[in-house]
This record gives sequence, C-alpha cells and structure tokens, in this order.
Amino acid sequence: MFSFRGCGRWVAASLTKQHPPSARLSGENAAPGTPRFDVVVVGGGHAGAEAAAAAARCGSRTLLLTHRADAIGQMSCNPSFGGIGKGHLMREVDALDGLCCRICDQSGVHYKVLNRRKGPAVWGLRAQIDRKLYKQNMQKEILNTPLLTVQEGAVEDLILTEPEPEHTGKCRVRGVVLVDGSTVFAESVILTTGTFLRGMMVIGLEMHPAGRLGDQPSIGLAQTLERLGFVVGRLKTGTPPRIAKESINFSILNKQTPDNPPTPFSFIHETVWIKPEDQLPCYLTHTNPRVDEIVLENLHLNSHVKETTRGPRYCPSIESKVLRFPNRLHQVWLEPEGLDSGLIYPQGLSVTLPAELQEKMITCIRGLEKAKMVQPGYGVQYDYLDPRQITPSLETHLVQRLFFAGQINGTTGYEEAAAQGVIAGINASLRVRRQPPFIISRTEGYIGVLIDDLTTLGTNEPYRMFTSRAEFRLSLRPDNADSRLTFRGYKEAGCVSQQRYERASWMKSSLEEGISVLKSIEFSSSKWKKLIPEASISVSKSLPLRALDVLKYEEVDMEVLAKAIPEPLKKYTECRELAQRLKIEDWGCE
Amino acid sequence: MWRGLWTLVTWAAHGPRSPRSCMRQASGAPAPGSGATIFALSSGQGRCGIAVIRTSGPASGHALRSLTAPRDVPPPRSACLRLLSDPRTGEPLDRALVLWFPGPQSFTGEDCAEFHVHGGPAVVSGVLQALGSVPGLRPAEAGEFTRRAFAHGKLSLTEVEGLADLIHAETEAQRRQALRQLDGELGHLCRSWAETLTKALAHVEAYIDFGEDDNLEEGVLERADSEVRELEVALGAHLRDARRGQRLRSGAHVVVAGPPNAGKSSLVNLLSRKPVSIVSPEPGTTRDVLETPVDLAGFPALLSDTAGLREGVGPVEQEGVRRARERLEQADLILAVLDASDLASPSSCNFLDTVVTPAGAQSPNGSSQRLLLVLNKSDLLLPRGPEPSPDVPPHLLLSCLTGEGLDGLLEALRKELAEVCGDPATGPPLLTRARHQHHLQSCLDALGLYKQAKDLALAAEALRVARGHLTRLTGGGGTEEILDLIFRDFCVGK
Repeated sequence: MFSFRGCGRWVAASLTKQHPPSARLSGENAAPGTPRFDVVVVGGGHAGAEAAAAAARCGSRTLLLTHRADAIGQMSCNPSFGGIGKGHLMREVDALDGLCCRICDQSGVHYKVLNRRKGPAVWGLRAQIDRKLYKQNMQKEILNTPLLTVQEGAVEDLILTEPEPEHTGKCRVRGVVLVDGSTVFAESVILTTGTFLRGMMVIGLEMHPAGRLGDQPSIGLAQTLERLGFVVGRLKTGTPPRIAKESINFSILNKQTPDNPPTPFSFIHETVWIKPEDQLPCYLTHTNPRVDEIVLENLHLNSHVKETTRGPRYCPSIESKVLRFPNRLHQVWLEPEGLDSGLIYPQGLSVTLPAELQEKMITCIRGLEKAKMVQPGYGVQYDYLDPRQITPSLETHLVQRLFFAGQINGTTGYEEAAAQGVIAGINASLRVRRQPPFIISRTEGYIGVLIDDLTTLGTNEPYRMFTSRAEFRLSLRPDNADSRLTFRGYKEAGCVSQQRYERASWMKSSLEEGISVLKSIEFSSSKWKKLIPEASISVSKSLPLRALDVLKYEEVDMEVLAKAIPEPLKKYTECRELAQRLKIEDWGCE
Repeated sequence: MWRGLWTLVTWAAHGPRSPRSCMRQASGAPAPGSGATIFALSSGQGRCGIAVIRTSGPASGHALRSLTAPRDVPPPRSACLRLLSDPRTGEPLDRALVLWFPGPQSFTGEDCAEFHVHGGPAVVSGVLQALGSVPGLRPAEAGEFTRRAFAHGKLSLTEVEGLADLIHAETEAQRRQALRQLDGELGHLCRSWAETLTKALAHVEAYIDFGEDDNLEEGVLERADSEVRELEVALGAHLRDARRGQRLRSGAHVVVAGPPNAGKSSLVNLLSRKPVSIVSPEPGTTRDVLETPVDLAGFPALLSDTAGLREGVGPVEQEGVRRARERLEQADLILAVLDASDLASPSSCNFLDTVVTPAGAQSPNGSSQRLLLVLNKSDLLLPRGPEPSPDVPPHLLLSCLTGEGLDGLLEALRKELAEVCGDPATGPPLLTRARHQHHLQSCLDALGLYKQAKDLALAAEALRVARGHLTRLTGGGGTEEILDLIFRDFCVGK
C-alpha cells in the first residue's frame, strides 16, 4: 500500500523568486501584521490533518498550511483503511480522539474484520473507503474544528532563533516562510511533507519532479533541512494503475463479501453510516506466467526497479514480486474506489513499466481481458529524514519546537501517518504550554512501538506496522485501546472530548461492575454443567465455579451465560461491545 | 572479575534486545561506562616476573604515546620494547614490552594497548598511577573489558561464561570444557535451536499478519508444528544430560562410605594427598561428614568422608551415621569401602546388602546411583591367597597403606566421572550452568503450551516466550529477524 500522504505543494525554488534557501535567523521584532499561531502544521495529508486537529483539541491556536485546501483528506494510494496492525493503530488514534476512525465510519463502502478466527489480540479492523466521501467528511471536520485555521500556501523555509537554554538543540523554530515571501510566526511547527521532499515520479524511463501526480515537489525546504544538519535518506514507493469498472468482467471472478453487520472503527460509534446490504463487494483475480514474461522482457525499460533506493518489502511492486518469487501466481484484489466511482483499484499490481506496457500486462489477467486503464501506475522516490533524529515526542533533537510526522520519518501508510500526526499535534501543543511531553511506551500501545522503533532503530525501508512488531501483543488489543489511552489523553494532554471521556468512563465502570457480578455468582460444577450443557465443564471438580471461571470456556460467552442466568446477567449483553470485552479480557483468577 | 561478569550476565539477560540495545544506546545517550577509556592490571596481584596492564577505549593510543613519549605508537599487534615514563614528571618507570591493538581487531573491539611491565608492586602501581593521570582514562570496573567485548559483539553470552570458566578452571576437564564453550560450541548449538524456533515463529506470525489477505502457501502452520515437535525432542534429549555440565563446573559429589574401620578416611587422605581426616585403628573415629575438593583424574570432585555405618552407638556417632546416609542419597558417585580381610563380618555383610546391592539394582531405570566398590587393606590378604569371595560384586583391590591398586582405582574413577560429569573431550557441548538448564527447560515448557493453545495469538505468544528463553543464551531475538524471515520466505504485501 502506498500512501502519498500528505502535503502541501512546495513550488520548486527555481520556479519562483530566489530565496536564499538557508534558514534565516530572525529577531523578535517582526513586521506588524505578521500572523502568529501557537502551532503551525505544514501539510494537509493524513499526518497533517490529525496533527492540526489534535493541537487544536489541546487548546492551541493552530494553522494548517497546505498547498490546496481541497486536497485535505485525500487518499493518494489505496482506497482502504485499517488491516492487521494498522487497525490497531487506528483504534489508538481514536482513543486519543483522533479523526480517521470517525471519518471511516462515515465513508466506508465495505467493512470487514480480518483474522476473526485467530483470537481477539490480532483482529484487524479494515474497510474499503469511498475516496470522495472521506475527503468531504475530513474537510468538513477540519473546517469545523474550533481554533483551527486552514490557509493555502507553499512553505519554502523556516524562521529560526536562539535556542532555549534549558533544552538541547542548536536553534529554535519561530515560524515559516511561504513561497511568496510572507511569514507566519509559530511557537511550534510540525512538518508533515509526505513524499514531497525532492519527490520524483517515475514511469518507465521517464522521471519528473513531483510529490504526487500533478503536484510540484518541495526542494527549498529539503535543502533547508539538509543545511541544518539533518541526515537525509531516500525511499521509493509506487501505486498501481486505475481501471475502468465497466470494462472488467466480474462474473468470472471470486467475490469477497463484507461483514454483516459491519463493525465500526470508533469507540464512540455503535454503527456505521451505510446499510449493511448497500455495501460493495471486492473481487479476487491472479497474475499468470504471461505477466511474468512482460515484466522480465521489459526490465530495461524500467528505471524504478533498477534503482538501489529501498522500497517496502511488504508492499512490493509486481516487478519485484516476479523477480523475487518467480513462477508463482500473485493475488490481485479488485477494490471499489467509491459508491459512484467508475474506477477500480487493482491492489497488488503496483507497477512502473511504461504506460502502454502496463495496459498490455493488465489485459492478460483473467477478468481484465478487455480492461481499460484510466491512469497508469507510477513510482515515487522521495527524501526522508533519519527518524533517529527525533525524540519520542517527535520533536527534533537539532531544532527545538520543530516536529516531524508521517512519511518524512520513513513510514508508509495512512494509519502510521495518522498515529504520528496525533502525537506530534499533542506534543507541539504541550510544548507551547511548557508541559511535559506525552509519550506512549511500547507496553502501552502500537503507537509506542512505532515511535520507539523509529526513534531508536531508524529504518531503511518504508516502515509499516505489523502485530509481530509488538512484544505485548496480547494486551495491546483493538478492543481495549480506550482503557490504555483515553484517560491519559484526557488528563495529561487534554486532547479528548468530554463526550468520549464519559463514554470510556462508563465502559470502565460497567466492566468493573460486570466482573464483580460474575465473580459473585457461584455454583457447583455439576449445576453449571446442567445450566450450560454445551460447555465442556469437568464435573469431577469439587470446588464451586464462579460465572467468571465458566466464561473462560471457549464455548461460553456472555450471551450463553445470560441465557442460563438472565438475572442479573442479561443487562451486560445489551451493549455488544461490553459483552465482548467481558469475554476477551483476562481478569485474573485470584 | 567474577562479580563483574555476573552483573554483565544479569544485565544482558534482562535487557529487552540485549546486544543491539547497547549498540544503540551508544549512538544516543552514552551507555553506562562507554566512551571512557579504561585501564586495569590484567595479570594476578602480587610480586611476579611480568605483569600485564591493559587499556581499552578511544584514548588508548593517546595513553600509549603519553607513557612512551616521544615515540610513535608501535605497529599493530607486534611487541616493541619501550621506556615507560610518567607523563607528568618524565620520571622513568620501567623498560617494558608494549603492544598496540587498534579496534576493531582487538579483544574488546575498541582500541587497546598492553604494557608488559616487570611485576614488582612499585612498578605496577607507578604505571597505573601514570595511566590514571592521562585525561580520559579511568580504572576499569570488574568485568568491564569483557563487558565491552560483549557489547561490541566480540563475544556471545555463552562465550563470556566460557571465558569466566576458563579463568577459574582448576582441573584438566574443566579447562577443556571452558575452552570449548569459549569457542562458542554451546552457543552454536543454542543458536541452531533458536534459528529453528525463529523460523517456526516467523511462519506463525506470517499466518497472523498476512494469512487473511495474501496467498501464503499451503501448510504454513503444519510446517511450524513439525519444527516445534523436532525441537522438543532435541531439547528434551539435551536436558536429560543437563546436570553433567554443572557437575563439571562445580564438582561432582563423591561420597566415601562403608562400615566402621574399613579405611574410608585413609582413602580420602590418599586421594586428596593431604591429611584431611584423622586416621586411627579405632572404629568410629570419623563422626561427621568431612568435605574436601579434589582433582580426581582431571575431574573436579567434592570428596566427602563419612562416619562408618553401624547401629547401636552413642548419640553423637548416631547423628554422624544419619548424616552419612543423607549424603549417600545426594551422591553423584559412591566410593564404597570394605575391609578385604573382614568381608564376612556382620557390618560388612550389612553394608553390602543395604548400600552396594540396592545401588546396582536400580540401574535398569537409568537413574541408578553410580558406585565403585573398593576392597581396602589388600596388603592383609595372603599372597596368592583365594579371591576374597565369589559372592562379592565387581570390585577393585586397594591398599591405602602401600598404594597398590591406586592406579587402577584412578582409572576406574576417571571412567565413572567422565560419565557423571560428561567428557568434554567428546560428546555434545554441556550445559555448564543452572541458568542454561533453566532457560532450556522453560523453553521446552513454553513449547508444550504452544501445542495446547487454540487461539493462534496465544500459540504465537508461547513460541515468543520459548524464543525469549533461548535468546537469553544466544543473544539477538529482535522482531526484525522475524520480519526478515517472513519476507524471505513469503511473497506478501499488496
């Protein structure tokens, strides 16, 4: 999955009036009328939107600077959110009152929980999302967030000043310089530049400077960062071609149906916006030896594949799949781009061949024999900054009050970007208020795992979350992200709304009450066996069993218990989430 | 050095991602103790011909130049004669051999210097004080050189333990074992187990993270299951031998027992080549258990002299008899001593029936107690007289008085102890520490949980715990290794 998250358009320095790209040191005596904000967020992608909203929720006067306000919330790559590991990150973003879960519950067209049969610690919430709806809903949310201002503009440079002596760092950021020469002052600045730092698009042998199809890259800012002494690396990613829906023969392909009822992403939603029966299906097809041949015969026309820049191993282009695992059939998922979209996204077919060869390759795949390619796939190469140069609060070691989030730190994925965005937004705001940073440890959340891996190990390929990265996977589950983070977010950061705090408190007290009731119900094992014959309770045990012990049997859940003992257990099955969490959590056995 | 090593071991064993984490710390906040250049006297304390003083760290070259000024640093890894003088006063200290080991090709992986000085206390303290005056140098803490070697990946944890054992080895067999461990044999074995386990875990993790969306090949979980089964068998077999290595390291319990006045104390004194026990013709001279560590045919042993076994004596001797019996139960090897000239006496017969015969009888179940029957006082037997008795089990004849039969006894002891301790000259590497056994056993227990778990996330957790225990012996164990395997073995990702 490639997310060209993000971002403002930073017009190349050479195209506009010449600024010295070096960072400027400014005095405090700014020109009158220069706008001042607590937090300025540069970039309106998934990291930028979350960062700006989080800073505003924390009470900071926040400016979101983006090259195009109508690109806020754009899903530049795959039309889906979540998955295994990524879904875990999203639940944590939601627990901190972030946006992406709520927006997904308003914009999805196909909801499915992955890994249903593998245990609740590794359930993966995922949804196919309507691109247009997501963007609309995100923009509505952003534009209606109190204290948050959106301004169009391309950032060219940073304003720097003397460092605060009580912190490390060789200087402090005071604001940004736009491409038109105007300035904005800020107490903290968050850069979420996505693939735009010296971005290059690649199709076949052609390369164009661009951050995303149709958008200019940012070169001046990249030079500024390099000049400040940041270590810069280069990564690559890619996106598949888009195919006209009506040109695909779905009737001969395997259909994947969504969940009914759909499970919402957000803790504060009971349902999603779409009727279960209105959801759209996905379809599965496979590559074949002819695809391998086209790739192998045309390697000389494919500069993206030959480059040494590291791409993600887990989001490989079809070229690298063919090269690394020859003579196999590879899956291609055909995913809808939206309810009224005429486009299909062929997940698994990321490719950088010349456009005419891409079309040739597509039409030799089953079901796509007559497919029309609407937009070719392409690769992107871009600068990232070694994330070992930032602290766990995402502030840079070198420049005080400068924060990085998203692909600029070497990650890939909307969810990874959103997770960093929330943390950067919270910490930029706390820094302005001179409060201690809000840091999530590896034991508390996948966000902690993500940031700890980045800031201590760095990365040399686009970093994606997997559940195998989490040492404490059994306790960092999607179901309990609120109990891990919502209270901390409310008390330490102030980023959580009263409504969400009350919902989490209600859930916490209901769980505690439910547990004490389950502990208080005690029968002999033979009586339990009579009450719940389907459970494999051993009657040889002489000690009485509590309802809580019986709930541990695989065959028993709260529904089964409440059927056997309606009073007082029935009320704990009225909320599906509560019943499920009573079953999942290990409540100890003292 | 000893305490230092243990600190190191605990530190490494409890660090979340052991060797890597300390490398990483080096880049950010300085790791405890890193950065500075350390120095210490590396040879033993006291007056001696040559004493060796070492330094390790970035300022080693500077220290070498300061003491040997104005000479250049000698060529790497070759000995040069230099006049050492105090850099503050210029006063000559000694004429010494110096060696220069630029990192990373050195023991610690850092720049190291060695000063081979004359071993007089004044010379040594003079050079140490001179080194202490060089900026950036400080005295090393116990075990710090080895710790740095570990931190720089020069030694694995089991190799560090092998090194410690080598330094403390007192017998031939201990030395061989320690050298094998220092060469990394135990580490290699554990690493091969850890690789198998990591692979099985990687396949389970791949099934969790990618099984739903990507087409993993058939039978991923089944292959993991069979790998786990094979590992269980291998670990189980090795653990059955687990006590041997520990005996080799800390000494086998050899208990000398027999009826009163059979010559047990004489045998103990003969084997330990010193008068450990009081010897007298009077039965019941030894009333308590007397222990002495000895080198028996190259193997370390804790030799226990016990009270003669008899009933109906005073309370003090009775307590001695009780202790003797208790000690017999814990023995790795029993040296049963009888008076060759007195085999028909009631006490001899009783001993044969109650101690010697039961020890031999248990042998079929494999947990038999090893026993060597020694008929002492062979000098009292008539020359070319009849064999003592055809009923007596296999035995050795010995005269503690003349020393006749001692060579035969030592050879028999060597064979027995090689069984009890494991022979480091042959056979698989031994688990020399209780720590090794603990982690292997815990690993095996966790593998048992893997098979029981129905929830795949719980099954994977059991494998993670198992792998965690193995990596306490091998180092490594980060999640990146698992991801590397996943992406090598499977074409995953969309």
